Amino acid sequence: MDRQYQKYVGDFIIWSVLLTMPLWLHLVGGYTPLGTRVLIMALAAMALNFLLGYTGVLSFGHAAYFGLGAYGAGLTIKYLIPNTLAGMGVGLIVGIVAAAIIGLLIIRLRGIYFAMVTIAFGQVFYFIAYRWNNITGGDDGLSGWSRQPIDLGFFKIDILHDEKAFYYFVLFFFAISVAIMAAILRSPFGRTLLAIRENERRARFLGIPIDRHVWMSWLISCTFVSLAGTLYALLNNFADPHDLRWDQSGDFVMMAVLGGMRSFWGPLIGAAMFVVLQDYVSSMTSNWMSFIGLFFVLVVLFCPRGVLGIIRRRQVQ
Amino acid sequence: MSEDIINRPVGRRRVLQAGLAIGAMQVTSPFVVKALGEVPVKIGMDNTFTGTYAELGRNEQMGSELAVQEINKKGGILGRPVVLLSEDSTSADTGTAVQKAHKLIERDKVSLVLDSVNSAMALAIGEVTAQAGVMNIVTGGHTDAVTGTDCHWNVFRICNTTRMETNSMSKLLFDKFGKKWYFITPDYAFGHTLQQGFEASLKKFGGTEVGASLTPLGTTDFSSYLIKAQAANPDVIIFLHAGQDMINALKQAVQFGLDKRFHIAGAQQELEALNGLPPNARIGNWVFEWYWNQPNVPHVKEFVAAIRKLNNGKVPTARHWFGYAATWTYALIANEKKTLDARVLAKGLEGFTLPPEVALMPDKVFFRAGDHQLMPNLYIGHAVAHGSVPEDLFHVDQVVKGIDVAPPVSETGCHIKWPA
Repeated sequence: MDRQYQKYVGDFIIWSVLLTMPLWLHLVGGYTPLGTRVLIMALAAMALNFLLGYTGVLSFGHAAYFGLGAYGAGLTIKYLIPNTLAGMGVGLIVGIVAAAIIGLLIIRLRGIYFAMVTIAFGQVFYFIAYRWNNITGGDDGLSGWSRQPIDLGFFKIDILHDEKAFYYFVLFFFAISVAIMAAILRSPFGRTLLAIRENERRARFLGIPIDRHVWMSWLISCTFVSLAGTLYALLNNFADPHDLRWDQSGDFVMMAVLGGMRSFWGPLIGAAMFVVLQDYVSSMTSNWMSFIGLFFVLVVLFCPRGVLGIIRRRQVQ
Repeated sequence: MSEDIINRPVGRRRVLQAGLAIGAMQVTSPFVVKALGEVPVKIGMDNTFTGTYAELGRNEQMGSELAVQEINKKGGILGRPVVLLSEDSTSADTGTAVQKAHKLIERDKVSLVLDSVNSAMALAIGEVTAQAGVMNIVTGGHTDAVTGTDCHWNVFRICNTTRMETNSMSKLLFDKFGKKWYFITPDYAFGHTLQQGFEASLKKFGGTEVGASLTPLGTTDFSSYLIKAQAANPDVIIFLHAGQDMINALKQAVQFGLDKRFHIAGAQQELEALNGLPPNARIGNWVFEWYWNQPNVPHVKEFVAAIRKLNNGKVPTARHWFGYAATWTYALIANEKKTLDARVLAKGLEGFTLPPEVALMPDKVFFRAGDHQLMPNLYIGHAVAHGSVPEDLFHVDQVVKGIDVAPPVSETGCHIKWPA
């Protein structure tokens, strides 16, 4: 009963912070697009954590689907229809289709082999974006387009010029995605994923089709990463081959581990710390990467279950 | 007693504490710098201070810092002091660069954004500043689109376009060294546009391209490309690399003895790269965008001396000049127009001529009205193993005017749309 109560308090605090962020962010030296970036990175990290923390499968190639979402949205808005939602739809579908096909090829692998193959497939997409100069702009990235105001017929939202409107636009998709992921995790399917994480062999003996479950989990995870990618492209009004590269995947893993990959909100905290730390420290010294690295080492050494892991441990004690 | 202190064993804990203290000093020290003046005019630099382009980005920053010092000595902008806020964009992550541009504009309220060695970042930041209506001067991103198809009313550029660089070289190469060319090109947008530029010239003059090799960025072993180039038997082998790639490619070309049998040349070359080469590999004909050894040009000596003081005694490179000229450009136009209004300043910069103490070049240096591209001099010459002094690694054979080698505005694809 007490645990349940605490959980509601936690959710309430997180949602009220997210809802009011644009109102107070400038008071603490932030700015609205920073908040938007935290949300997008958090969505990507939480989606990755669906696979990593709840199914126990480590992917090092999620940036590929992040980037496919970004390029899908950018290319659609630039060449096909100047419509933000259409761009997001195309980006999402491209990401899902690629993830579904590649997922079929790799689900039989486990552990380090799975991680290596996801990197390999990720780099394939990176090099396509990097080399196909005529379409993707190659190394120069995809520029010359921008997100368009949303026209709902009776109501128009100017997400292009109003940064706060765009923040709430992103928060809307963030909330939906998080709700869906939470609902899936509570369902029998979600519980099965936990069982696979805890003991795959035992789950197999229970007659659970492991590969199909891992594939579904992979697909769900990649879907939300693609969504985060489309939002990221809209935030920057730009798609960049770097979005698809393996080090971007590494950043997502770092965020999940920093915050705590055994807790639902952990990656959100991790993403917030990662983005804010990078933003602040890099203004002060060009050696900022050493500090982020040091911070990561300290977290892994002293709280291997991430920052949220500490809180949870206190509760247990 | 004193001996005790010296001989006391240093524990692990002490070492860790010292490490943390040194780390903390790095973070806290810039706050002191920020506390200058009352209502300063803020200039934001969003550039590559870490990664592949770190040296180039820092050199631009140093040039900009020198300009800020000089501007403040001469009364600032509109009587207000000037501060330079620098943000690291990393060398590859354009998302971070965009983020930092937002930070400079929305949080720090800068009046001018200076960026970036990386062309992709220059394009992306141009979109941000155009949306926000903030002045933007591109220091060192060369891709044609910045003042071409993706040009904006508020974006001006100091460094040359890739097309200006190839146009300045091609006639010389064709007339002097032969009409059969082989390209060794880094496989990304910068290399591709350079090669296209040379191919266009080659077609115009009636020469032949006997082959081309695309090398991935970061190639360390160029032997297979060099063997292919050798087999094609060209008159000229053209290297279009930058940075470490250029260093590796030229070193290996010399090891293969290619410099004895073919002519080696290319487009853009930088002092940073020549510095990294062994003397016997400082070969070939290139174009520099600015050079420190210009004995007959007024004010250059003073600039070189001032940078030497900041740069551990080393001479300025073209990158220093980019940062310096970009920062001074803004101060000059703002003081002339007596406003910081971006629209007025952008209109004022169209056709604006840099004074000799900023231009540091023999001919008239001005911003072209149609595409906001600076029309500087370009320095065609050849690398030398040993110069008059150790830093003199390039011999300027000919100085051309930017306006003579730049394609006309109608061919750049730039149509500037002013905000309503």
